[in-house]
Amino acid sequence: MSQRKLNVVLSQAQGKDPLKRGLEEEIAAALLLEPGIDLGIVAHLYDLESGHTGRLFLESLPGDMVVLSWLYPRAAYWLLDRNEISGNYGENQLSPPAEVDEEEESEASPAQEKSMGIGSAKTADRVIYCLDMRDSRDFRAFVEEIRRILKECRQRWSEAEKIKQPAVVQLGIGILSKPANGTAHESFPKEGMLTIPARRWYPVIDYSRCTNCLECLDFCLFGVYGVDSLDRIYVDNQDQCKKGCPACSRVCPEQAIMFPDYKSPAIAGAPVGSIGGLKIDLTKLFGGGDALVIAAQERDKELVRDGRSAVGLTVGIPKRQEGKADGPKDDIDNLMDALDNLD
Amino acid sequence: MSDSLTFMMGKHPAVLPAHLRFARNHLWCAPTAEGNRFGFTSYAVRLMQDVYFLDWQVNSGDDVALLEQIGHIETSKAVSDLFSPAKGKLLRFNEVVLADPSGINVDYHGQGWLFELVGDVGHLMNVQEYLEFLESNWEKTQRMIKGKINAGDD
Repeated sequence: MSQRKLNVVLSQAQGKDPLKRGLEEEIAAALLLEPGIDLGIVAHLYDLESGHTGRLFLESLPGDMVVLSWLYPRAAYWLLDRNEISGNYGENQLSPPAEVDEEEESEASPAQEKSMGIGSAKTADRVIYCLDMRDSRDFRAFVEEIRRILKECRQRWSEAEKIKQPAVVQLGIGILSKPANGTAHESFPKEGMLTIPARRWYPVIDYSRCTNCLECLDFCLFGVYGVDSLDRIYVDNQDQCKKGCPACSRVCPEQAIMFPDYKSPAIAGAPVGSIGGLKIDLTKLFGGGDALVIAAQERDKELVRDGRSAVGLTVGIPKRQEGKADGPKDDIDNLMDALDNLD
Repeated sequence: MSDSLTFMMGKHPAVLPAHLRFARNHLWCAPTAEGNRFGFTSYAVRLMQDVYFLDWQVNSGDDVALLEQIGHIETSKAVSDLFSPAKGKLLRFNEVVLADPSGINVDYHGQGWLFELVGDVGHLMNVQEYLEFLESNWEKTQRMIKGKINAGDD
């Protein structure tokens, strides 16, 4: 009888940082010996083009999976979603919003249930766990976490099995003829999966936060965004995006736009926001100036570089500041209590 | 001359020592032999609470512009990019808090200083001006924080 295995995919870092490579190798070596795990290794997730063998491999994997990358879990998860590799978000116990700890392992995202985002267009019925390899320098931490995830998955699988089982057993259908995975690994040449793609730069939308307000569509003058047949915002022409420019992410009122390779964590997909493990962004308070002004400056720089005219704050700048000021006034003490109660 | 002024953040008093000068981005400034030392004000620390992670994106010896992004901080309550409070040359960073940023919470006006910079600090405020700055912006600040809380909470 073939024990069902958990697919684990390790996505390599860009460049040749020996520390990162070292950790990748240690993790991979340990996982190869780990029972119940099928390991695949692909190039850096963010840079994979749709035809890249690594992406095709990821797409071919059925069932629950763990993806290790050098990206924030939220960024990796929505990047996969963007690549039509979808599933429910699996909480891991390595990444900082570990305040979840208290609630034990409530798998699939409590964060998402709370949000007002429009959600992913289609979510496959499975769980995807994204681990950030920056969360520990010790490969054992990752192996441990993957063991924990495997246990969690097995529990889920056996529960699902109980529901389906009777028919299958009676008919004695040869489940063995085609193991759930296994084949996938053979049909994708290793070299292809590891071919180093050209560096890319484009926004990734977190649909658990996106409210489809379309402010990014109005703001970006390079045609990166579009709406699909359901009038949902999506990244239409990702390679028209201007390398290094994170301006639209600053304009987004929900912090739903990530640039996974950007230097500041808030934009790269770190947990940001507020209560419930998410954090308040104080950048404006600490001299970041108005995010909209910075965004307009960044956009102007790219417009000028393209030989177009700077537009400053005259085009596509949302006017939400004014409206917000009319919100209900809060008692000062309540606010500070709220801050105290955040944890 | 008075030792300090106090700004009430709700029920929490933020003490502002009178011998310091203050930047609009909530850093204090004190002269040193070579230039000026900067650190977080009590107001900033109160908003951020426990500092978990501090990172600088420029090196000592680098020239920085006013409000140029120089680093990043993550605390129990907040994340933020950090910006230079003045134009000038960064002399050094406090290695102690870089290694263990919790030192910022322990002694933010003293051993928890952040960096030293030589440059133009003429635009910084005195304690009275900073107090007024905090008072006049408190409403807005609350709205900003509250807005963020609400945005993530429902």
